[in-house]
Amino acid sequence: MEPTNDPKLSELLREWQVPNAPGSLDRRVLDLRGAGSNKSWWRFLLTGSVRIPVPVGLAIAVLLLAMAGALVLRQQPTAPAPLSVSLVEFRPVKDVNVRMIRGDEAN
Amino acid sequence: MTDAEFRDAYVCHKDLVYRFARRMTGSGEAAEDLVHECFLMLWRNAATYDPARGSLRGFLIGVTRNLALKRLSKERAFDELEDVTAICEPIDPVTRERSEMVEQAVAALPPLQRDALILAEYEDMSLEEIAQATGAEIAAVKSRLHRARENLRRLLAPLLETKGAAYGTHK
Repeated sequence: MEPTNDPKLSELLREWQVPNAPGSLDRRVLDLRGAGSNKSWWRFLLTGSVRIPVPVGLAIAVLLLAMAGALVLRQQPTAPAPLSVSLVEFRPVKDVNVRMIRGDEAN
Repeated sequence: MTDAEFRDAYVCHKDLVYRFARRMTGSGEAAEDLVHECFLMLWRNAATYDPARGSLRGFLIGVTRNLALKRLSKERAFDELEDVTAICEPIDPVTRERSEMVEQAVAALPPLQRDALILAEYEDMSLEEIAQATGAEIAAVKSRLHRARENLRRLLAPLLETKGAAYGTHK
């Protein structure tokens, strides 16, 4: 479909004129740009913000949680290791001499 | 983008961007907001402009157009962006100034026809430039321009007739 040029229509359309950009807009655009470029680093540290992609944010959050979890697990008191008993030199007694002590003998 | 480059870009293109935004939105205040947002976007994301893909003028018009369409779709959430013909009645030439009638007729066009027409008729942009700025195929731009002019001929029929009579060309 070819756009049909129509001189009469074009001439009529040109009767609607709009002004150019007002001077107030210069200040608005250029001031804002200036404010952005002169921002000092310490002001940025106090008031600045950074945008990070969601996947990166999630990865950092998961990493921090994992590190925190590992730290907590490491600090938990561990159960004392069971004492090892060696029975290598154990010899059962040959004669068992049981002595009965009565109550009146004890007194 | 350096300060000087930004300033040059602003000084060179601000009027074009403002006029386009003003005609798209029909409001001076809205146009100022759009120009502000457009150049703010250029300042913050200068890397998104690739000279290999087209002129800075086309890029800025493209950004402004997208911002304008976004604003229009918020204001008129239920309007179609593009339709075949406008359904407005011809404008009554007795009650209004001619320029006001032209403004009203252009504003009545669907947004996708309106932006193509404004860039072609008022900013003398070529079909290729309009296609770059609007992110459309050249064939689509031609089609939109054709429909826009048809709609305007219908809307402004009373004025075109009187104009023809005034210049001695009306039969």
